Amino acid sequence: MITFAAVSLIYPNSTKTVLENLSLTIDEGEFVLIIGPTGSGKSSLLRLINGLVPHHTGGILAGDISVDGISTQSVKPGGLAHLIGIVGQNPVNGFVTDTVEEELAFGMESLNIAPDVMRKRVEEILDLMSLAPLRERSLATLSGGEQQRVAIGSALVMHPKVLVLDEPTSALDPIAAEEVLSILHRLVHDLGLTVIVAEHRLERVIQFADRIVHIDGLGNTRVGTPAQIMSDSDIAPPIVHLARALGLEEVGLTVRDMRRMSEQIRGGSYSHTIEELSVSNETVIELCDLSLSFSSKSVLKDIDIKICAGEVIALMGRNGAGKSSLLKTIVGLHEATSGRVSVLGNNPLTISGSKRRESIGFIPQEPSDLLYGQSVIMECQQADLDNEIAEGTTFELLNELVPGISPHSHPRDLSEGQRLALALSVVLSAKPKVLILDEPTRGLDYQAKSHLVSTLLRYAKVLGRTVILATHDVELVAELATRVIFLADGDCVADGKTLDVLLSSPAFAPQVAKVMSPQPWLTVKDVINALDVNP
Amino acid sequence: MKDARHPLTWWIWSLTLAIGIARGNNPWLAIAVVGCAYLVVRTFRSDAPWSRSFESGLKLGLWILIIRTTFGILIGTPIPGTTIFRLPILPLPEWMAGIRIGGAVTQERLFSTAREGVILAAIIILFSAASSLTSPHRLLRVLPFAVYQFGLALVIATSLVPQFVRSISRLKDAQYLRGQKLSFKKILIPLLEESLARSLDLAAAMDSRGYGSSRVRSRYRAISWNPGDSLIIAASALSLLSPPLALLSVATPFLLIKRRVAVPVS
Repeated sequence: MITFAAVSLIYPNSTKTVLENLSLTIDEGEFVLIIGPTGSGKSSLLRLINGLVPHHTGGILAGDISVDGISTQSVKPGGLAHLIGIVGQNPVNGFVTDTVEEELAFGMESLNIAPDVMRKRVEEILDLMSLAPLRERSLATLSGGEQQRVAIGSALVMHPKVLVLDEPTSALDPIAAEEVLSILHRLVHDLGLTVIVAEHRLERVIQFADRIVHIDGLGNTRVGTPAQIMSDSDIAPPIVHLARALGLEEVGLTVRDMRRMSEQIRGGSYSHTIEELSVSNETVIELCDLSLSFSSKSVLKDIDIKICAGEVIALMGRNGAGKSSLLKTIVGLHEATSGRVSVLGNNPLTISGSKRRESIGFIPQEPSDLLYGQSVIMECQQADLDNEIAEGTTFELLNELVPGISPHSHPRDLSEGQRLALALSVVLSAKPKVLILDEPTRGLDYQAKSHLVSTLLRYAKVLGRTVILATHDVELVAELATRVIFLADGDCVADGKTLDVLLSSPAFAPQVAKVMSPQPWLTVKDVINALDVNP
Repeated sequence: MKDARHPLTWWIWSLTLAIGIARGNNPWLAIAVVGCAYLVVRTFRSDAPWSRSFESGLKLGLWILIIRTTFGILIGTPIPGTTIFRLPILPLPEWMAGIRIGGAVTQERLFSTAREGVILAAIIILFSAASSLTSPHRLLRVLPFAVYQFGLALVIATSLVPQFVRSISRLKDAQYLRGQKLSFKKILIPLLEESLARSLDLAAAMDSRGYGSSRVRSRYRAISWNPGDSLIIAASALSLLSPPLALLSVATPFLLIKRRVAVPVS
């Protein structure tokens, strides 16, 4: 279906080859997963398939790519619209119309397909993607999972032979992600659709993949079955790390396989103590009967939470459950409709300037919102100046978090993980008593994530500061949090130790816990500690 | 929300009204028509992002009125009449004879510039009324292929403007939370970068979905022309016959409001 013949790609004004001499044939009905660190060229590889690279972005391409016998060199992306559906990293940015139905029809209208055919196909897709109840809704009012489904639907409605998706689940909660992936799985099996997906969160997709393309960022690529690639890949889901730690001969890729292989280990009885974090009794944040509503729509209802120094709190819940609203109320962007918020004894709405920097540090969903400097070093100097600390302290901090960032590079040119590290070091240079992060792992690879985990743990444990993060990433929560607060529709439905909350619901349980159930282990580290095996 | 009117109706309505006002050259008529148009906009607009454009048009119109009147008083040839006050005359080189800056401000001069300003502002406000009543995406569909590039730019602009407003408030919040004083530069740079990235994304998405690859576009939902549309257009044509009738045509859309039947609540 898709043939890459000796493809090399290099962008202008860049010395780094993105791809070098890649030859690959993808058959009809294959589910291919592309993995690699951030900035390694996964998106470029995807966009090569329909010719957006280099037709839209520029760049020097050697070799030839052909889809269903048509070479992308001779045809513009629009000419392949009937053959390839492509869904970008952020589907909202690609929406052209106002409502769900019109968005689905947009591509067909462009190709001048007859109205009666369009009507039929739109109905078909509305059913297939379970969008029928939303047909007249405005796109802006949909949740993240629904928007992703509309984007996939509007690609499928053209009856393409190939569907290309760039990180389809990165913004979704575990349940919405599962829904989207199971739809893709069904399409591959029922219609013989060829699906190509780039994704960081392997724990979500690896079980669906027929083959994996691994890009290392230096131009080298490896292609193989999941079992082959996972046997020695540095990018691997927790389940594979578990298999390696347990010294199993094979790596299992699904929870089912791993449970079969680890039956003996699981069955034993272990007496182990879970490391209790010492949490002081010093209350840092206090929310009393907090309610928040926007134009008579209630967003948060009677939230009563006390947070102490040294706690790492994960705020979880569906897209639109009120996580961001709660964080914004704590930092003082929203004024509570009723109830009381106090941070270190103050009303957060009244804190400003350097006092704010020292009490609350906030990393928004887009860390780059905080950055406006022309280079990394300028950004760091500004932070030094703001906090009246010795020059170079912030850059040193950054170097500890992620070594090897050139001080003169522009913040925009950094990878997702590096940019987060820069924003984090700018915020941490003021040593805030409370650090708040909104969805910090969007678009982060495993390596950047483990850097983040160790930084935050150190900050909470060594300095005894409070960290609060809103996230969908259960694996991150398992590694990091001491306490989980679960929101649903503005209500606080669960609040307790990470272990208790995560184990109580299968959808939000991390992979290791699913494999090792009923043993109370959340991470590979827990298993190693409990079994006392040497990895 | 579905708007029942054809996307061209409101544009023709505002265009003819604008011609009527320009021909009438009467500031009081212009103000009355704008006031009426405001009521129409309030009644018929949906809650879509573009429906706020009437307010922006109003602000823009007022600015134009102020700036135009100031310049009209300061610069230009004098009109004889009752002098209200005198400004010092700025000496200009001889070759610029005929142009004068400052000097006597007469009642006649003030009134004539103010009148022109009001009419210009009214025309701009009428166009913003049309754009707040019409979905740009629906308008794009009825435009011919010849203006394809224009349509593309229109879609990108109309989906970016609301994004722009949201991004600005997000960036302001972020800077405030970093404990920084607000400054134009700190918001402008990330804003420009983000908007550029966004519009490239949108253009790539439209391109890969085949936009513009076929000369003829089919329509998923036929956009139909209703008797109501004809009524509005016909009434607005009245303002071409005689400018004072513009007041009648601006109010015609109210005839189309369906009367709600009161259902007794048991």
